[in-house]
Amino acid sequence: MTAVSDRKTPLALKLLGVAGLAAAGGATGFVMARFVDLAALPWTDALAVGLSTMLLAAAVVSAGIMASRPRSTPVGCGLLQIAILALAGLMLLAPIYGPNWFSPDMVFWGVVVLLIAQSVANLMLWRQADEMLQRVLSETSAMAFWALQLALFLYAAAERLGLIEGLTAWGMVGILMGVYLVASVIAAGRRGIK
Amino acid sequence: MNNRLKVLRAERNWSQADLAEQLGVSRQTVNALETGRYDPSLPLAFKIARVFEQPIESIFSAQGTPR
Repeated sequence: MTAVSDRKTPLALKLLGVAGLAAAGGATGFVMARFVDLAALPWTDALAVGLSTMLLAAAVVSAGIMASRPRSTPVGCGLLQIAILALAGLMLLAPIYGPNWFSPDMVFWGVVVLLIAQSVANLMLWRQADEMLQRVLSETSAMAFWALQLALFLYAAAERLGLIEGLTAWGMVGILMGVYLVASVIAAGRRGIK
Repeated sequence: MNNRLKVLRAERNWSQADLAEQLGVSRQTVNALETGRYDPSLPLAFKIARVFEQPIESIFSAQGTPR
């Protein structure tokens, strides 16, 4: 027992944190604008690149926050969450940029390996999580499921009626990941997790 | 649900991390419990009661119920 009472974070430190996050956001935006022409990509690829950039940036920021904490702070599920974010980001990028360097077969098997690693990390996260984090994960899944099944029903009806064009599986995955990301932010925010 | 976690913790001069360690949960969970953003499961409520050596009903009460 350390018998240390909680102290409020000093305002200067909070402002420094906000400035750090703003700098990370700015750097991410700069890198995106410098190296990726989203307008030249099909919307499905643009969505995947945008999401993967957010996931990778979140992983880097989380790693930075974790590294800046005192060594006495328990690591908890942080490392697994960072790994999951990074692997999800890479899985979304691989099918778009991987064929520039490797054959489609190799890229596909690379994605399979990433998917297995991410699934194992997700399972480990669930097993290590305390009851509140498990609740957040369950609520995220439930919110994403209901939002997506409603959207899928409407989309399917509109497609059947010939009102809209068909959607590729790649586009659906991008939408699914985006909805899941929003749901996770809402579920975590409700419990005060930032 | 209302609870007296913050008061009980302060009386013992424990940090949120200290309490989290004793309960086997994360510091965020203790924070969410104290701010009323999360209601504990029954097993966790019993654990909290054991840690503070008080009956559950003296720590938790239904919303709006006077103690």
